[in-house]
Amino acid sequence: MSSLLPWKGWVVFAALAALPLTPWMTKYHMLLAFDALLFGAVAMSLDLLMGYAGLVSFGHAAFFGLGAYSTAVLLERGILSLWLCLGLAVVIVGAYAFVVGYFATARRGIYFALLTLIFAEVVYTVFRYTQAFGGSDGIQGLPSPVILPGVALDTPIRIYYAVVLYLLLAYLACRVLVRSHFGQVLVAIRENEDRARFLGYDVQRYKMGVCLISAVLTGLAGALYAGRAAYATPDLMHWSISGEFIIMVMIGGLGTLVGPIIGGAFFILLQEKVSSYVQWYSIVIGVVLVLIVLFAPHGLLGFRRGLRARPRREAAG
Amino acid sequence: MTAEIVLAVEGVSKSFGALAALEGVSFDVRAGEVFSVIGPNGAGKSTLFNVIAGVHVPTSGRVVFGGGEITGLAPEVINRRGLAKTFQITNIFPGISVYDNVCVAAESRVPVSGRLPSLWRVPDVEGPVMELLGAFGLTARRDELAQNLSHGEQRYLEICLALATEPTLLLLDEPTAGMTPGETKDATALIRQIAQSRGLTLLLIEHDMSVVMGISDRVAVLHFGRKIAEGPPEAIKTDAQVIDAYLGGVDDD
Repeated sequence: MSSLLPWKGWVVFAALAALPLTPWMTKYHMLLAFDALLFGAVAMSLDLLMGYAGLVSFGHAAFFGLGAYSTAVLLERGILSLWLCLGLAVVIVGAYAFVVGYFATARRGIYFALLTLIFAEVVYTVFRYTQAFGGSDGIQGLPSPVILPGVALDTPIRIYYAVVLYLLLAYLACRVLVRSHFGQVLVAIRENEDRARFLGYDVQRYKMGVCLISAVLTGLAGALYAGRAAYATPDLMHWSISGEFIIMVMIGGLGTLVGPIIGGAFFILLQEKVSSYVQWYSIVIGVVLVLIVLFAPHGLLGFRRGLRARPRREAAG
Repeated sequence: MTAEIVLAVEGVSKSFGALAALEGVSFDVRAGEVFSVIGPNGAGKSTLFNVIAGVHVPTSGRVVFGGGEITGLAPEVINRRGLAKTFQITNIFPGISVYDNVCVAAESRVPVSGRLPSLWRVPDVEGPVMELLGAFGLTARRDELAQNLSHGEQRYLEICLALATEPTLLLLDEPTAGMTPGETKDATALIRQIAQSRGLTLLLIEHDMSVVMGISDRVAVLHFGRKIAEGPPEAIKTDAQVIDAYLGGVDDD
């Protein structure tokens, strides 16, 4: 177990699991915690691309939104199994990410970002301006998904535990991935793409692979989100949401996995708290972000430079 | 001694617009030898390497390596056939450790690479990696970020990366560029020794005549994109055309 996750990690997840037992966790706080952890997981998925492979995706909201619509379409038709919802999200988001990844990874740098943005805008436009999926209203008033026969995801505490479990599994998967051979090659591509080619790596294949993995993890989060929010709207796919995902990764710390989880949770909590006091909350958030970028340019958890994808062995004597 | 031909360059021409960088260049490299291509600045040496390694598609002519044509194939495909290249301008992975640099190079040859289990497995390449680092005196620097190495150490790391992919033919593009004369001498001896112990064939581009003359079995001379001479170093040294190209021709810094 400790090779999968060090004891500190297990302590953190145990604390997250124990959180609902504390007296101050109202339903409102439980759902807020859901959002914080869910978007933390999304930021972590994006970190695979940004922090490890060095690819900035400006279209992750489309993956998230397509995942949400996958759930919504099934729930709307009375197909309530959460597992089918998640399965459909994997298929839909995976297929879409394959197409986006194929074209976007053929280009580098700013062109990768632009192509992911353009594809996402196309998806947004289709969902927003055609009536196929409810237009601007999206799909609303969904029933709760069902985990097992008779057990619906209908109380804040069940919803909360679902996201904790998702975050745990997604984090373990990402942790194994960035330490694997595949993860090593991603870092090499980030560091020097041309050199990686001359070492025999088919760079585009690796980039497509990580796009697919990052997109599917984001899509699964979207599918869970629709189950909790009981709606899916085109707003979830707006480009500004993609921008927020990038900000979450940046404030957390590129290439650290844990950093973006904290960054995502921090962003959601900040947004929620500030917006409950003032209408012009985005100005406050903006100022906080500028301060973070100025005084912690590597993010809340990114102080360590020289990201190490491989666990350090003892130095040779 | 007629060893098997490892690399055959057959009538290769390459033009960039109106500029003919290479015109009908042909030569053969035999197994186990050190073959050098020399020439003044702008003679087309690096273009020739780029054509062989898959960076440029030649305008005409073909390149045959290990019995198969590789003209116009992608660099990663050519590398997988056993042809590795080092770069004139140091080309390493700056932000990761020296050890991780060589690991990622060595891992490109493990069977799991490119397959699904590579998503969770970590191949063990510590043995060959440490052996390479030892050969180039980089063992003590294994945990240092590659960008923090000295210039000479980075040049060695560059060669380590290429060697870690277990090539049969190694293309070295001015391996001693930027080194002091002392370093150049050591590096030349080391390269020669490692090539011999691994049974490697070397194709070397050099600017510095003294480096070439010491280690080459055969030398070809490029001048304005054409091959003007080929032969053993002693013959090249006294070739009238070569002397003319080097002394009377284009500048030489």
